[in-house]
Amino acid sequence: MRWCLALLICCFLAAVNALSSSGSRLLAILEDTEQKDLYSTLWADLEARGYDVSIESSKSEQLALFKLGERAYDHLLIFPPKSKGLGPSLTPKHIVDFMNKDGNILLALSGKSATSSAISSLLLELDIHLSNDRSQVVVDHFNYDTLSAAEKHDVLVLQRPGPLRSDVKAFFDGEGVLALPRVAPQTLGDSALLSPILKAPATAYSYNPKEGTPAPEDILATGSQLNIISAMQARNSARFTVLGSVESLEDKWFSASVKTPSGKKTPTVNREFAKQLTAWAFKETGVLKVDKVEHRLITEGAELNPSIYRIKNETIYSIEISEYVYDKWVPFELPGDDALQLEFTMLSPFHRLNLEPVERTDSSTVFSTQFVTPDQHGIFSFRVNYKRPFLTAIEEKLEVTNRHFAHDEYPRSWAITGGWVWIAGLWSVIGGFLAFVVVWLYSAPVADKLKKTQ
Amino acid sequence: MAPSSLDVVLKGSSGRNTRGLLRVIILCTIAAAAVSSRLFSVIRFESIIHEFDPWFNFRATKYLIENGFYSFWDWFDDRTWHPLGRVTGGTLYPGLMVTSGVIYHILRLLTIPVDIRNICVMLAPGFSGLTALAMYLLTSEMSDSPSAGLLAAAFMGITPGYISRSVAGSYDNEAIAIFLLVFTFYLWIKAVKNGSIMWGALTALFYGYMVSAWGGYVFITNLIPLHVFVLLCMGRYSTRVYISYTTWYALGTLGSMQIPFVGFLPIRNSDHMSALGVFGLIQLVAFAEFIRGYLPGKQFQKLLTSMVLLTFGLGFGGLVLLSISGVIAPWSGRFYSLWDTGYAKIHIPIIASVSEHQPTAWPAFFFDLNFLIWLFPAGVFMCFQKLKDEHVFVVIYSVLASYFAGVMVRLMLTLTPIVCVAAALALSCILDNFLVASTPSTETKAKATTDDKSLRSTRNPVVGIYSWFSKSVVVASVTLYLLLFVAHCTWVTSNAYSSPSVVLASKLPDGSQFIIDDYREAYYWLRQNTPDNAKIMSWWDYGYQIGGMADRPTLVDNNTWNNTHIATVGKAMSSREEVSYPILRQHDVDYVLVVFGGLLGYSGDDLNKFLWMVRIAEGIWPDEVKERDYFTARGEYRVDEEATPAMKNSLMYKMSYHNFQSLFPAGQAMDRVRNTKLPKESPQLNTLEEAFTSENWIVRLYKVKDLDNLGRDHSNAVAFDKGLKRKRATKHKGPRVLRTE
Repeated sequence: MRWCLALLICCFLAAVNALSSSGSRLLAILEDTEQKDLYSTLWADLEARGYDVSIESSKSEQLALFKLGERAYDHLLIFPPKSKGLGPSLTPKHIVDFMNKDGNILLALSGKSATSSAISSLLLELDIHLSNDRSQVVVDHFNYDTLSAAEKHDVLVLQRPGPLRSDVKAFFDGEGVLALPRVAPQTLGDSALLSPILKAPATAYSYNPKEGTPAPEDILATGSQLNIISAMQARNSARFTVLGSVESLEDKWFSASVKTPSGKKTPTVNREFAKQLTAWAFKETGVLKVDKVEHRLITEGAELNPSIYRIKNETIYSIEISEYVYDKWVPFELPGDDALQLEFTMLSPFHRLNLEPVERTDSSTVFSTQFVTPDQHGIFSFRVNYKRPFLTAIEEKLEVTNRHFAHDEYPRSWAITGGWVWIAGLWSVIGGFLAFVVVWLYSAPVADKLKKTQ
Repeated sequence: MAPSSLDVVLKGSSGRNTRGLLRVIILCTIAAAAVSSRLFSVIRFESIIHEFDPWFNFRATKYLIENGFYSFWDWFDDRTWHPLGRVTGGTLYPGLMVTSGVIYHILRLLTIPVDIRNICVMLAPGFSGLTALAMYLLTSEMSDSPSAGLLAAAFMGITPGYISRSVAGSYDNEAIAIFLLVFTFYLWIKAVKNGSIMWGALTALFYGYMVSAWGGYVFITNLIPLHVFVLLCMGRYSTRVYISYTTWYALGTLGSMQIPFVGFLPIRNSDHMSALGVFGLIQLVAFAEFIRGYLPGKQFQKLLTSMVLLTFGLGFGGLVLLSISGVIAPWSGRFYSLWDTGYAKIHIPIIASVSEHQPTAWPAFFFDLNFLIWLFPAGVFMCFQKLKDEHVFVVIYSVLASYFAGVMVRLMLTLTPIVCVAAALALSCILDNFLVASTPSTETKAKATTDDKSLRSTRNPVVGIYSWFSKSVVVASVTLYLLLFVAHCTWVTSNAYSSPSVVLASKLPDGSQFIIDDYREAYYWLRQNTPDNAKIMSWWDYGYQIGGMADRPTLVDNNTWNNTHIATVGKAMSSREEVSYPILRQHDVDYVLVVFGGLLGYSGDDLNKFLWMVRIAEGIWPDEVKERDYFTARGEYRVDEEATPAMKNSLMYKMSYHNFQSLFPAGQAMDRVRNTKLPKESPQLNTLEEAFTSENWIVRLYKVKDLDNLGRDHSNAVAFDKGLKRKRATKHKGPRVLRTE
């Protein structure tokens, strides 16, 4: 509870300072800081959105992710290094620690050169896999840019991705095409924390340009199993985004025009997409917040959030949720055919109920449901466990005790019609005994008198 | 003039008064002795609640004091048996707590502010003083000799068999229950002797109090009907027996049913059926007596036999039918284990795992009762000589209690009172004969010789015992025995029964005392460093102490009502981490507590109880936990290099020895309890992290880790934190798994 409160306060403080819901200090790691001019539009866009961008070389001596045990930056944007690693202050361990402390990371890769082994082993910890030789490039003979890659077919031209599933919100959709030059492909493991943002088309495959066609058993994945952009949200909702093509962020591609083999020449929407992607990666979108959780007996004037209920009590539970969209909190709306569910559990759920939206404020939606507590005493918890791709996790757990009937809460004997027979029997015995005693005491002994008169 | 002035005091009505006064003074002294001999632990350690169960009683008493009687009655305890909770108000015997609550409030009313803890600590000694008085009353009913009662009271006051359960701080149900037991029997004897409704009703009243105080009330419930039944069989039916028994049964049953925990048991449980049966029987016998007055003998005989056969048939058939249909509960497991000592070991390991449920060793009888144990048969024999109604009671009680005391160690407690009665009867008879008896006059001698009906041996005049010499020898030896008895009782009490077991004491080489206070150290750490509702998992032995001292919710405790839940904890302790961790998560466990004696040589630790955990878990999950896996191929229970994989990978083993090797030079780690050398490497714990280890390593606390933030296995996460590189799965085996969204 205290933890939630701290998070809330953090969120509010952050909202005052910057646009992102979790702070504005952004560190960009470029191995060669000379190259930063290549991305000048990106820096300008980020700074315009309120980020406090500092660009450092990974070789820099002063570079430190933590200061006095606290994070020194809120977000990390890592450009692909050419050397083996990211330097002593950015080992995989540091990056994992950064995520464990709620820092967000956007990692860009490039198919131009081999990905460094340090990054590969970091991705392995997250269950994101690169090819064995770490230097593959995605090509597609149907969706390539005929203007810039007429020969190599390694500049993919793709539509912006729609929603992942019908019950997932789309954060990256829109009109226009993206140009993605020299993509380093990733494949995802089974982890539920991972989700693909942009998958390669079914006609795509990957190969190592220096080695030529690979043997069939060496092929890691093809088609839509290859990911161009993938996302990982840790259990504390820290975000890790992998962008396969660092070049797509360059100024050059922000303003380029592309032409597919079958289409006509169109300008790219890379700049808009970069905004969507960085906004999501740095928690400007898809951030959920629980404002208030209330539960009480359904009777009027009942105590709010009591710690103890009785079995078969009628209770009402409500949770207030807001969603952060770029610069403000708005009421959260469930996408499509998704449902927000409440569980009333002890070891296993006794109730699993859909929470219905009942009220909207300016910045939040109140979801609510009511139910009768189960006929089983114990320590139960109200649990809302809402974890969806691209939305930060909601895990609310409130422990309450469900007690048994107290001795004076049962219906009285005379209120139970079936008990009337027994009550009648009881009182008739008592009455009969009293009558017997009275008759016994007041009937005079007759025999004695008879004797006397005789 | 001295003899004459003494005569004034000792003879006539003032003599009676003097003796009465003396008796009162002696009884008060006995009560004071009984109380003071139980204070060893308070003087040596401090005013502290002992052992395990008393901690629950103490906690319940505090709840009663704070919340009043009605909330105590409806108490739902959400801090034990997480997440099931316990309907505590309805599943305990409230007599003990209510008694100390009443004492507390009376003292407050008298503006004597006494801490409730001190009342709880001193309750058992206080009631043992009362027990001595009740013992005097009971024994005085058995014998005409005034010394029998006083001797019995003195025995009861200091005999170790009773002291073992009633030293200061031993705040358990038995603390008041033994007094109630003895006093109820006294009232029952009184009722049978006088045939009075008042005494019968008083018996029922104290029986009700006893029911509210201890589960051992079943002993009374069966002993009194048995007494009546034997009297009936001996043809000793009388209206006295009828009145006292019916009064006791009707009122006592109603009274006992008022206790929520007992409820409808008296009419539904097999353990109570004998009382009901005898109640029916005595009605029939009374009716037969009534009929006999109106019918000629021959017809009456016929009627009687047919009636007996009919009622027996009907009653037996009805009982069988009700038992089969489930209206009458079948005999409980604890009951079966009273008849077959091997029963519990096979069917209910949880009962067998308690040391006080083990059969009694022979030396224990002498240890707990000293010379009373050989006076006991003599006393029973003397009861046979007189054999009035009350002596029949003593005989029955002795036979039953001797058997039960042989079956279970803890039932030595019920044997002790009757041993004191019988021994006092025997000893007082000896003393009276040898101290008081004067040489019989020739008249009585002549009478004795002419009486042909008596045994041949008694026909000759007895003269041997009247001599001054024989008198002094007997009296001296009895005095010696009594003095030895006192010395023995004091020694046993001081050495065996006065340790609080929460605080351990040992002697340093130089003879000074060394206090080992690890339990309280760990419990207070929990109390001060963990959130108020942090759930603690430990083996059930420590549940009450954690609840009482650390004030944290526990998964299982000493109220072993749910075998499955205990088996769950046993499974978590005895399985691999991968199996245990989901169990810990499911039960919201925050900390795990283990007791480890390997450093100090404290033998009562969890690894020595480990096989019981395995056995109890095996009872519920025979496929997943197997006792055989924890023994080596040669059938040894080992913890060293040659321990079985199941043993080495069990959570209990890992928690016990985690980091233990770092205390010793490489390869020299020694376990001082099991006297073995341990493996070089300390076991690796992935899902738990050490939170606290007490000074002498007796209590070790582990915090359960949260799920990994990045969704990895804990073993992988730990390996990553250590800087080990993860091996990449280079070659896929089998068909490739495609990811679908």
